[in-house]
Amino acid sequence: MGDVFQFRSSASLEKLTGQKAYNLEELLELIKACSESSIFFHTFSAFLKMREARVPYNTDFAFWVARMLNEKALAEKLMAVDLCEHKTVEGLRSQLIEIIESYRGQKPGAFQKTADEPFYLHDITRTVYLTDRFAYDLRSFRELLTEVSIYSIYFHFIESRLYKDFDSDEFSVWIESSLNMPALAKKIQKIDISVHTLEGLRIRLIQLIDEHLKELEQRA
Amino acid sequence: MTTPPLGDYEDVVGSDIIEELMIIASHVGNRSIKMVSSTPVGGGVAEMLHRIVPFLNYMGIQAKWEVIKGDDKFFEITKSFHNALQGQKEDFGEDAFTTYLEYNEMNSRELDFDEDLIVIHDPQPVALIHWNQNRKNRWVWRCHIDMSHPNPQVWGFLKPYVEKYDAAIFSSALFSAELSIPQYRFYPAIDPLDDKNRELDTSYVNSVLANYGIPKDKPIVTQISRYDPWKDPVGVIRAWRMARKNVDCRLLLVGDKAADDPEADKILEEVRAEAGNDPNIHILTFSPSIATEINAFQRASDIVLQKSLREGFGLTVSEALWKRRAVVGGAVGGIPAQIIDGYTGLLVHSVEGASLGIRSLLSQPSFAKALGENGHQRVKDEFLITKNLKRYLLLLLALDKPSAHTIFLS
Repeated sequence: MGDVFQFRSSASLEKLTGQKAYNLEELLELIKACSESSIFFHTFSAFLKMREARVPYNTDFAFWVARMLNEKALAEKLMAVDLCEHKTVEGLRSQLIEIIESYRGQKPGAFQKTADEPFYLHDITRTVYLTDRFAYDLRSFRELLTEVSIYSIYFHFIESRLYKDFDSDEFSVWIESSLNMPALAKKIQKIDISVHTLEGLRIRLIQLIDEHLKELEQRA
Repeated sequence: MTTPPLGDYEDVVGSDIIEELMIIASHVGNRSIKMVSSTPVGGGVAEMLHRIVPFLNYMGIQAKWEVIKGDDKFFEITKSFHNALQGQKEDFGEDAFTTYLEYNEMNSRELDFDEDLIVIHDPQPVALIHWNQNRKNRWVWRCHIDMSHPNPQVWGFLKPYVEKYDAAIFSSALFSAELSIPQYRFYPAIDPLDDKNRELDTSYVNSVLANYGIPKDKPIVTQISRYDPWKDPVGVIRAWRMARKNVDCRLLLVGDKAADDPEADKILEEVRAEAGNDPNIHILTFSPSIATEINAFQRASDIVLQKSLREGFGLTVSEALWKRRAVVGGAVGGIPAQIIDGYTGLLVHSVEGASLGIRSLLSQPSFAKALGENGHQRVKDEFLITKNLKRYLLLLLALDKPSAHTIFLS
């Protein structure tokens, strides 16, 4: 038997920084200079909140650029950033900076625009905690998936990559390394989070596991 | 007011959320917290504390709530300070500041501040910290008002006291002030189980409509707000009238009106003049409002408007979204935090915009339904009392490690 999987979860305390941007130049400066946790708040945390309300933006930056500066093309480029591809916030920050700076070359006029409503830079304190739910095998893991909070699912599927330097989500890492089920792990890794709410992600995970369990039963 | 047990919230927010609250609380341990405010009843702060304090105790935190004392003279001054901090122009004599400090000093002598965390609510007791400078515990100022454009004289006086705190909490970045201390954001929150928000039987909702003579023969568009120019009730009638050219519906205006409020009388007169004798417009006034009936009016509505021209946080929006109503809100104050335009409601900037919003939602019920569902989810994630409880627990943990960006609990 492999390692036991203990579900964890996380919660945020939002902080105000008093810093704001009215145009792209100022936004760029904020992104360059702010803390990693600010970047985390406006990307990973924003993604979680927008997912649940079915808002199709994945970062506060893209939302503000689209809604307040009406720079839809830049917003689309920012939205195309796959948060799950980043193992470090610094990597994500670099990509955001690169996108905005290269947009300056494509459309210098966008940098002359001033928004009526500024972008307010926030920061965050994350608290990560253990739950008392343990999975010992795929069946118990599947059962617990129905019970844990969406914050726990979010933590393991997205956020934990930042703490563990994983290339993929923590669920598939455990399923591959501890349960020795690489095929299922691969399927889970391929889930496109940008088309799911967290509840939708929960359902998709359960669906993939049920299919896998059924296959195992048939083989047996 | 009786507070439902925390377990009752499991059915509303989910047992997983309550379970995680209890886990975080177990890490906070038996730390103590004292809330200090200026009034035990009336107003959103007292309403919120009546809920939060018992819940914190239930979770093992030693929570207390104390109310400062003062006479009419003190509270007249603090009311003027309150208005001035929200931007009202007013000049204060030195005696106002002297009186304010005298009462704060008197209260600092009468209260003890031995708890691990002291949370001072709003400006009235803010100077209490001055007489507790050798404290070993943490002090946080929770500001519930809009401090974005404070009167410089009053803010110049209070700011040095505020900056003695370990941190400040504001309801939104929009309402925060420039300060040298860390600032946290706690959105205001609604209680899903109080009379204003709890589930109601359809039969009760229908009986409330019948009691007030509102036929349920066509869609109902409602605004529930004080009769105040900033809530633009006249604009609401104009928007509804424009929309009526395309969609048949009733308009329900429901508002609080204090018996001795001449300004509200004037606005109400303007509202009645604008409405004329239109039998499709129902204008109701309450003094004070009855929470369960307000709840019923919101639930009976197809669209809820909050067409404010200026707004504090505007929690009536969250109340309506929680009931899965489609909401059209003015893009001011805290309303855009609740309404993500086109996804959790519609944001508008004019009478014409509100009219289009009404037409659009009444003509596309599935769109209206989707907005209501998304809005409900947004409120569940951000604007419920359980989320505020979590914020207080996280704050207790974060103040121990003010420079940490991530706290790992084992």
